[in-house]
Amino acid sequence: MPDPYDDTYTESQVIMTAVKIIAPFTLTYGLFMTFHGGDAPGGGFQGGTIVGVTVLMLAFAFGIEPTRQWLRNSFLVGLITGGVIIFGAIGLGMIALGGNFLEFYQLKEIFHIKPKWGLEAIEIAGISLIVSGVMISLFFSMAAGFSPERPSGTGGREESADRGVSDDD
Amino acid sequence: MSVLAYTLAVFILATAVATVLFRDVLSVIIVFGAYSLGMAILYTFLLAPDVAMTEAAIGAGVTTLLLLLTIARTTRPSTDRLRERVHLPAVAVVGAFVLLLCVAVLPEMYAVGITETPVWSNPDVTQHYIRETYAQTGVSNAVTSVLAAYRGFDTFGEAVVVFAAGVSTLLVLKREVFA
Repeated sequence: MPDPYDDTYTESQVIMTAVKIIAPFTLTYGLFMTFHGGDAPGGGFQGGTIVGVTVLMLAFAFGIEPTRQWLRNSFLVGLITGGVIIFGAIGLGMIALGGNFLEFYQLKEIFHIKPKWGLEAIEIAGISLIVSGVMISLFFSMAAGFSPERPSGTGGREESADRGVSDDD
Repeated sequence: MSVLAYTLAVFILATAVATVLFRDVLSVIIVFGAYSLGMAILYTFLLAPDVAMTEAAIGAGVTTLLLLLTIARTTRPSTDRLRERVHLPAVAVVGAFVLLLCVAVLPEMYAVGITETPVWSNPDVTQHYIRETYAQTGVSNAVTSVLAAYRGFDTFGEAVVVFAAGVSTLLVLKREVFA
């Protein structure tokens, strides 16, 4: 899908094929690292980054604009803020159970489950969401770039139409 | 340290020097990616796989992609020269500083893995996390248990810092949406 304004993208058969083969493996590895961080090297930060990088690779191979239309702004904002809210809520939940902020010992005493599950919950539902969301968002914001004449606060699609017109001269 | 580790150290030094000396921006980004990959492998030699994974994902992966994106969005200055011009007084000052570090500081450092290091001087503290991690938290990776359980509050702060990085990008670019 060649876009006139997307000057960062060149269609390359080699890159597209390579990414098609690699992407499933990196996504699986990133998810494995996130979900298995308690018993193997890795964790939410590393796993979230690798999941984010998979999306970055897809954007590089198949064009940033199609990827951006596929991952809407509301989805990315939901990932980032949702991660922070879940992390904070788990921490406050432990206070509600009678412990300190993020003190998972209460899980053992009240629900008779290992404190491990509280730790895994903040790794999976907190850290990895924030990190992968911010990685993808940084990439998209930098790809959109900054030009002083563009009005601030408009959505991706309207703006790209503006750029298409202004780039013609 | 094996022969392989020394070869790796030479590779890292060579790529670091090449990053400084190359004139072309694209070449610099490529050698810098190679440098990060070398560092990631060196961290696994030093038995720090968690750090190695972060270095490989952030240093060699995301940073390279973001830098490539930056030269795609701005300009890549064309040049005929292969090498950046070297500023001799600056080289002399930095070289003297490195020499001082090698002569005065390096011999004072402890060898990797010996038990006389200050980290081991209080084994009640350092061994506590290694011994008690599984019993207290139920996970066998001590790095993760310190990160998410013993120092969970710190990690909450770190996660909020990453969140703040995303927000400040929007502020700097004067935008209200990411996409």
